[in-house]
Amino acid sequence: MNDQEPKIDLKSICKNIIGIGKNYKDPLKEHVPTDEDPFIFAKPTTSLITEGSSIQIPKGWGTIIHEVELGVVIGKRAKFVSEDIAMDHVLGYVLALDMGKSLEFDKYPILLIKGFDTSCPISDFIPKSKIENVDKLNLKLSVNGNTRHDGNTRDLIHKIPKLISYLSNYFTLDYGDLILTGTPAGISTVKHGDVIEASLENLANIKFPVVEIQ
Amino acid sequence: MASQVIKVQTVCRNIIAVARNYTEHAKELGNPVPKENPLVFGKPVSSIITEGEIQIPHGWKELHHEVELGVVIGKPGKFIKPENAMDHVMGYVLVLDMTARSIQQELKKQGYPWFLAKGFDTSCPISDFIPKSAVKDVHNLNLKLTVNGITKQNGNTKDMIFKVPDLLSYISNYFKLEYGDLILTGTPSGVSGVKHGDIIEASLDDLAKIKFPVVENEK
Repeated sequence: MNDQEPKIDLKSICKNIIGIGKNYKDPLKEHVPTDEDPFIFAKPTTSLITEGSSIQIPKGWGTIIHEVELGVVIGKRAKFVSEDIAMDHVLGYVLALDMGKSLEFDKYPILLIKGFDTSCPISDFIPKSKIENVDKLNLKLSVNGNTRHDGNTRDLIHKIPKLISYLSNYFTLDYGDLILTGTPAGISTVKHGDVIEASLENLANIKFPVVEIQ
Repeated sequence: MASQVIKVQTVCRNIIAVARNYTEHAKELGNPVPKENPLVFGKPVSSIITEGEIQIPHGWKELHHEVELGVVIGKPGKFIKPENAMDHVMGYVLVLDMTARSIQQELKKQGYPWFLAKGFDTSCPISDFIPKSAVKDVHNLNLKLTVNGITKQNGNTKDMIFKVPDLLSYISNYFKLEYGDLILTGTPSGVSGVKHGDIIEASLDDLAKIKFPVVENEK
């Protein structure tokens, strides 16, 4: 283990968070592959919080929803990169919660629904070398001790190299940028007083209380 | 007084824009005018350019230009009251919010976010930084844009539906405003298509002038 590895503080270096929606197959159903492009949105970097902070529901919203995701951190600038070399551009990973107001994308602007402050809680940075196989990682989330999400990155529809390649065709990805790769099923609501815990295999564990702004 | 050259492209970590903030522009696209709250969306900072070409992604053929006043945040804040909002402003830029209109319509139809249509590389050309002190009245600035010398947009910030202090206040309720953040305040009517070979010029009163050629990427 390299003790000299610099501590990566994503909140300081990240300038771009891109989220991918609808990116998990239902493991119980046969997945019909489609040509569909990824569902892409963004979260402002002010949405990032680390442990010690609470998830803050904007005043009056009552409830928000949770999603648990593998986040990919870019290490090397990427533009027009092909899938076969895409992983060279990865610095490491984080476990992330993609909090949202609701799934009412037709009713509210997506920036508001997905980007409000504290809507992107993340774990400590996980160096790339710590993960042998990124396609076999368990993602779990519980609310007040009750399991809500229990999925695996093997069920990603668009895999990481494809996502990096596709995104880099339109957006220059830079050092520190974060890609949230989607959530397995299990979305539910949380309210003031709830506590969310999540894990990525035995690589990361996070716990965030939820409060509503008064 | 020390003059500091602010490079917005270097300090900016967040771009928040508002859609349909000029009545005539909302009407020209057949969109309802927002009544209660501004309609916000984001552009990634990777979209900012200060020189060079506006690049249409290969195959998209055409983009729409949208000339806007950009507000640059100096003092961070959250839950900012409208009466204090202008204290958080350190200056302005003239901006083009380039938009892939047909991609945007397609995405809307699919129920997908607009992010791709609004956020691709080079979709946020900006002028040099304009210090706050250079602007007497932010709600009386002329915004003009020509394509190949022909005037397409010619509006004034007095026609903004949600004025700058209200925009900053609303945005800061949900998103903490940080030093260097760029807020795009909407475009007047006259948006039109530009394609490979066109040249866009725009001005903000006599405070800023920009010129960007448009090319389509060969991929």
